[in-house]
Amino acid sequence: MARHLLAACLFLFLLAGCSQENTPFKPSADKRKTILIGLIPEQNIFKQIERYEPLAVYLSSKTGTRITLKILPRYGNIIDNFKMAGLDGAFFGSFTYALAHAKIGVEVLARPVALDNTSSYHGLIFVRKDSGIASRREMKGKRFALVDKATTAGYLFPKRYFHEAGIDDWKKYLGEAYFSGTHEDAVYDVLNRKADVGAAKNTVYYRVAKADPRILKELTILAKSPDVPENGLALRKDIDKALRSSMKDALLKMHEDPEGKAVLEQFGARWFIETTNADYTPVVNYASEIHLNLATYDYIND
Amino acid sequence: MKKKIIIGLGIYTLFFLLCGIYIIYIIQSATTELDRLITLHQVEILREHYLLQVKRVQTDLTLKDTRHKRTFDTVVQNVVSMGRIVDTCFDCHHNQQATERLQDLKKQTETYKDALSRVLTLRANTARILAEEDAAFQIGEDLIGKVRDVIAITSSKLAENTQRAMIRIARTKYMLYFLVGIGPLMSAFLGYIFLSGLTNPVNVLLDSTRKLKAGNLDHRVEALKDEFGELAASFNEMAASLKEQMLKMQRTEQMVIVGELAAGLAHEIKNPLAGIKVAMHVLSEETSMSAEDREVIRKVAQEVVRVESLMRNFLNFAKPAKPQLADLNVNSLVNTVLAFYMKSRPSAPDRPNAVRIEKDLQPLPETMADPMQLQQIFLNLVLNAVDAMPNGGTLSVRTSHEKETDFLRIEFADTGKGIPRENIEKIFQPFFTTKPKGTGLGLAISKQLIEQHGGEISAADNPGGGTVFRILLPVAAVAAETAT
Repeated sequence: MARHLLAACLFLFLLAGCSQENTPFKPSADKRKTILIGLIPEQNIFKQIERYEPLAVYLSSKTGTRITLKILPRYGNIIDNFKMAGLDGAFFGSFTYALAHAKIGVEVLARPVALDNTSSYHGLIFVRKDSGIASRREMKGKRFALVDKATTAGYLFPKRYFHEAGIDDWKKYLGEAYFSGTHEDAVYDVLNRKADVGAAKNTVYYRVAKADPRILKELTILAKSPDVPENGLALRKDIDKALRSSMKDALLKMHEDPEGKAVLEQFGARWFIETTNADYTPVVNYASEIHLNLATYDYIND
Repeated sequence: MKKKIIIGLGIYTLFFLLCGIYIIYIIQSATTELDRLITLHQVEILREHYLLQVKRVQTDLTLKDTRHKRTFDTVVQNVVSMGRIVDTCFDCHHNQQATERLQDLKKQTETYKDALSRVLTLRANTARILAEEDAAFQIGEDLIGKVRDVIAITSSKLAENTQRAMIRIARTKYMLYFLVGIGPLMSAFLGYIFLSGLTNPVNVLLDSTRKLKAGNLDHRVEALKDEFGELAASFNEMAASLKEQMLKMQRTEQMVIVGELAAGLAHEIKNPLAGIKVAMHVLSEETSMSAEDREVIRKVAQEVVRVESLMRNFLNFAKPAKPQLADLNVNSLVNTVLAFYMKSRPSAPDRPNAVRIEKDLQPLPETMADPMQLQQIFLNLVLNAVDAMPNGGTLSVRTSHEKETDFLRIEFADTGKGIPRENIEKIFQPFFTTKPKGTGLGLAISKQLIEQHGGEISAADNPGGGTVFRILLPVAAVAAETAT
């Protein structure tokens, strides 16, 4: 009898062990992570929210991680907010990524390919056709609508544009130079005669032009910058590698999923492509040519 | 009555079905009306909420650059909420005019949002910033004005719609009360009609049944309709049949009493008759008696024998002997009876009053029957036939087998004057006779014996004149238990 009892106890222990070993690991729902993604004011901030909201929802469902968006009032704030507001990532502009990578070490994952099969943009300098401005010479004393000191098309490009003409103190050369805050507003300020000259990225210029035919009819482009990468998603270095990989994978395979394809269509892109730091070399070179130190650059608007 | 019930139930069902449908329609109408009112109130609340949200955003704009300013995120959230509210307005169906107003409102809202975005993101000199803020504020004020106009119109229409809806709902409510009230009344009325249609005839039948039970056998149910009419007819037939059966039973009881009385009387008379007979026999032996006295004694003895015969017949009728069944050839028995008659008849066949006998005897199967009783029956019928032809005639005897019923058919037909129609129904009744010296028990006894064999006996006019007596006897005769 004692022997049988001992055998039964041994069997129960073995059974408990087997049961425990066979139980698959499942993370608790309470441990679900929330990722806060910043959005730069590329266009009207409310339209920007509407544009990125479906993408955030899609990524949330694919990664099992809640993706929350936070619109920022200024391009430069995106770098500050990484430190103060606890951002985990952001869709950076080309110059803001270069700055953020240099200052806080974020790493890019992927960027979208536009409907015209391009994954880059360039800066435009434009005026009204009836403004009488045809070159930098006629811009003397005029009102210039920039976007933000942390933008390539909205600041870096115009700075180099005047530099090439030997005009380094271009703020004194111009009558007024201010930061519209968004590329869209820079375009409309020129269109609505609030500014004489404007600078903005071509993707936004043509996006708003599609909605407002007056832009192509009444504005003219004077100069274009070299191409730089379109806005890409970058995350903090210390983000979990599995999550990073999951988000990257979700972005790169969106076009293969019917649901993802619908989101891309709404977003205005064909698919996402992998992006690395090497893709931002044109921006770095651009800054270097005008003797701009990314690590110490003061991106706060005057 | 079945058709009437079905039609009545159909009307009943249709009535309540229509009432139910109408009540459902009324409730549906009222509910729809209330739903519409609720929706209109929700729309009004939504627009009030929208106005509040616009004012909140306007306040955020006013407080910008002051020490009470809201955070950027709060302002953005308020603007987003404002946009969602105006989008919600389009979820409802509107007429063209209302849709146009809402479209204009939405357009103004988008313009306001654009202006707010501008204010929130602009970095410029103070003059430019203030100009943009003022522009945004003015757009906000214009938007508030438009929203107020829309709310005013909505409130006005809502009041009108509410009043009309309440009137319609009140009317609906009264109609509902009416139907709820009239429903039971109609139900009661129809129920009363049905019950009357059912209970009145039933009461008539019950009353008739009670009268029948009380012994009034002449009572007949008055004319009723439908199935109750058929039932009444059946009741009347039953009453008539019951009366007839009761009369028959009375007669039967009388016969039983008479039979028992006769049997007892006959038994008591037999003994004295035996004594008289013996005494007469002794007296007849006296040698000193004169011839005249001897003749008297002979007549007395003869009458005693007659009385004895009468008593025996009484006993046979009152207590008929049970048949002693045996295999029997009816044709043989018929021949035996006829032979016996031929030997005993007083006149020769060639004389004018002689009775000529014709036989038509078909082959018959063996029959289980009492030969003595059948002989008695056949002899009685032969003697009756001969008595019916005092001036001569033909006695025809026929036998056959009815295969369909497995009965034997035996007929004795005479060519006499026949039995009067008024008597032909009585000849089988006991004590009925038209003969001066008859007892009236011969045919009654014959009938009784045949019935004990499970057979039948009847009399009818002979087509050629005279009377024919017909006996039907089962081949597999079973001695029936006599009622007596």
